[in-house]
Amino acid sequence: MTETSGISGPGDGAGEACVRQVLVANQLGLHARPASQIAREAQAFAADISLVAQGQSVDAKSILDVLTLAAGPGSTLEIHARGADAEAAVDRISQLFAARFGEK
Amino acid sequence: MARAIVRGISVSTGFAIGKAVFVNRRHHSDIPRHAVAEAQAEAEVERLRQAFSGVETELEGARDRIPPELSEHRHILESHLMILKDPKLCGAAVKLVRELRVNAEWALEKAVAEVEKAFGLLDDMYIRERLQDVRVMSDRVMARLLGTVRELLTVDGRVIIMAHDLTPADTVMLEVGKIMGFATAQGGKTSHTGIMARTLGIPALVGAGDLEEAVHDGDLVIIDGVGGRVLVDPDEDELTEFNELASQFEDYQRRIYRGCQLPAETSDGYRVQVLANIELIEEVAAVLDNGGEGIGLYRTEYSYLNRTDLPGEDELADKYADLAAIMSPRKVIFRTLDLGADKFIASFGALDEANPAMGLRAIRFCMQHPDLFKTQLKAVARASAYGNVSLMFPMISGLREVRRAKAKLREAQEELRAEGKRYNPDMPVGIMVELPAAVMMASMLAEEVDFFSIGTNDLIQYSLGIDRTNAHVSYLYQPLHPAVLRSIKHVVDAAHQAGIEASLCGEVASDPFCVPILMGMQVDCISLSPQAIPGIKRIIRQARMSECKALLRDVLACRTVNKINRLVRDTIFHKYPEELSFFASLLDNDDLGG
Repeated sequence: MTETSGISGPGDGAGEACVRQVLVANQLGLHARPASQIAREAQAFAADISLVAQGQSVDAKSILDVLTLAAGPGSTLEIHARGADAEAAVDRISQLFAARFGEK
Repeated sequence: MARAIVRGISVSTGFAIGKAVFVNRRHHSDIPRHAVAEAQAEAEVERLRQAFSGVETELEGARDRIPPELSEHRHILESHLMILKDPKLCGAAVKLVRELRVNAEWALEKAVAEVEKAFGLLDDMYIRERLQDVRVMSDRVMARLLGTVRELLTVDGRVIIMAHDLTPADTVMLEVGKIMGFATAQGGKTSHTGIMARTLGIPALVGAGDLEEAVHDGDLVIIDGVGGRVLVDPDEDELTEFNELASQFEDYQRRIYRGCQLPAETSDGYRVQVLANIELIEEVAAVLDNGGEGIGLYRTEYSYLNRTDLPGEDELADKYADLAAIMSPRKVIFRTLDLGADKFIASFGALDEANPAMGLRAIRFCMQHPDLFKTQLKAVARASAYGNVSLMFPMISGLREVRRAKAKLREAQEELRAEGKRYNPDMPVGIMVELPAAVMMASMLAEEVDFFSIGTNDLIQYSLGIDRTNAHVSYLYQPLHPAVLRSIKHVVDAAHQAGIEASLCGEVASDPFCVPILMGMQVDCISLSPQAIPGIKRIIRQARMSECKALLRDVLACRTVNKINRLVRDTIFHKYPEELSFFASLLDNDDLGG
C-alpha cells in the first residue's frame, strides 16, 4: 500500500476538511495519464480538492495543474479536500495512488 | 509565374492540384483584442463556452470513430479532452472576460499564456511537451471563436490540406477520399503526415515554414512532391505543365505497379531481394500490394512512443507474432529499440545531451536498461517460433558490444526455455553497420553475426560529419561521396568473404539513381519504404549486372562527388529517362532541371 499516514479531522475553516499523505508509487510519476485520471475523478466531487507538494498547491480538478506539479516517482504529496464530500474525495483519489494508476 | 513558391521537404511523391484548406492555422497577429462593455460580458462568456463545447463535441465524435487498432490515438484524444475541459483554460478565460472585460479571443489568449508560463518553469521535458497539446486545443477553440473553423466533412471538390502541423486528432477527422495532398509548416521526414500520405498515395510536403504566411484559404495550389515545393496561385502554363505531369505520373505508376509482383531480377539473371521498411503492422498490406518480398527493417519504437507506461512482454510478443504470422514464410527483420537521438519514451524522458546523435541511443540505451531490453528480446524470440524472424542490433561499434548484446539475447532465450515458451534457437542475428568504426571492423564483426544491414542514413551522417537536418551543412550530405561508396563496398565485400548476407536500408535504397551502383557492389537485399518498391523493382528488372558493374567501376575511379553525380545522372538519364521527372533524387539536384 502506498498510503503512509492518514490524518483526518476538522480543518481551521468552514466546511469539512480532510488531508492525507500519499506516495507516488507508479513507475512514471504524475505524467499525462495519471494526471488525467486524477482530474477526471476529482471533477466528480463537489469538494475543493488540491494536491500539495513541496509547498506548491494545485487544483486536483485541473489536469494542467496536476501536470505542473511534476511529481516524480517516489515523491510524497498531500491531498487536501474541503467540502461536503471531502472525505469520499480523498478516499477515491488516494485509491488511485495506491493502485499506481493501473500501471503494472 | 505562381504568386509564391514555398519550399518544403517532400515525404510522399506525386503531383496534386487543388484548393488549399487550412485545418489548424496558427493565429498570431489576427486575433482581435478589445474591451467589452459590462452588459456585453455575459454574451462574450457564452461565446467562449459555445466554442469550447463545440470543440468538445467534435473531439468526442472523433474519439468514437477511432478504429480499435489505433488505440494510441484514442489515448491522445482522451487527454486532449481533459485539457479542453480544464478549469485552467475555459474557467480561467471566463474569469478574465468578467474581471478584465476583454473579448473572448483575448481572454483565451491570456489564459493560454498563463498555462505556458507555468509549464515553462518545469524541468521535465516530457511534461513540458504537453504544452503542445494545450496549444492544439486552444487553437481549435480560437478557430471557432474567429469563425474560421471548417467542417471538413462538408468540404466540396478536391482539396489540399494545409496545416501548421497535423496531429492524429486532425487526421482521424479528415475524409480521405477528397484529399489530393498535404502540406504542413512543421514536421520532419518521419512525421505522421508522411506515413498518412504514403498510405493514401498522395503527395505531401512537411517543414514548409512559410506556408501559413504565403497561402490563404481557398487559394489554388500545386503540390510538387518531386521538387518539394508548393506553387501558390499558379499561372496557365504552370497548370498545364503540372496537369500533364500528374497524368504522366499516374500512367507511370500504373505501369510500374503492374510489374511489381515480378521478382527483382536483372535481364542477365542477377537476383536482388527487395524488402520493406515499416513502422506499423498496418503497413503490411502496402508491403504485399507493392511487391515487397519481406520486411527488411521493422522499426520497433512505435509501440513505446505516445504512451506513459512501457509495453509488457506479452503485449509485444502478441504484436510481433502477428507480424511474423502475416508475413510468413517471407522474412521479417526486427531491429531492437533505436531510441535516443530524436525519439524518447516518456518513462525515461529526454536526456540532457549536448549532442544526442552521438549520445545514449540505440544499443547503448538498451544496454543501460537491461530489463527493458530483455523484455523486447523475449518478445522477438517468442515471435521467432514462426521461423521467419531475424533480429538485428542498431549502432554497433565493435566486437564487445555485439557479444554483450548477443549474451543478452541468450539470456532471454534461456528464460523462455525455463518458462516452457517456444522460440527458434537458430534465429539469424545481425547488426546494423552505420558507424565508421563498424565499417573498419567489418571483417571481424562478420565472424560474429549472420548478416549485415548497412544503415546508410546514419553511415553517411557519421562518415561525413553532417547533420543533414542542419540547413547550413545539408549541401554536404552526399550519398555518393567517394568515401561513402568505398565504405559500403568494403562492408559488402567483408560480408561476402565471411559468407554472410549484406543488405542495405536507408534512403539510397529507394533512390533510382543510387540503386544501380549498389547492385554493382552485389548487395544481396535492399530494404525501402513499401511505396517505393514498384519503381525500384522496375529499375532492377531493366538493368544488366554487367552495366551496373561497369558503372560502379567508373564511379570508383572518380575522385570527387560532383564528378560521380554527373556520371550517374548521365547514365541513368539514358537508361531511365522517366525516373528523372518523377523522383526527387538524393543527389544534388540543382541542375537536374526539376
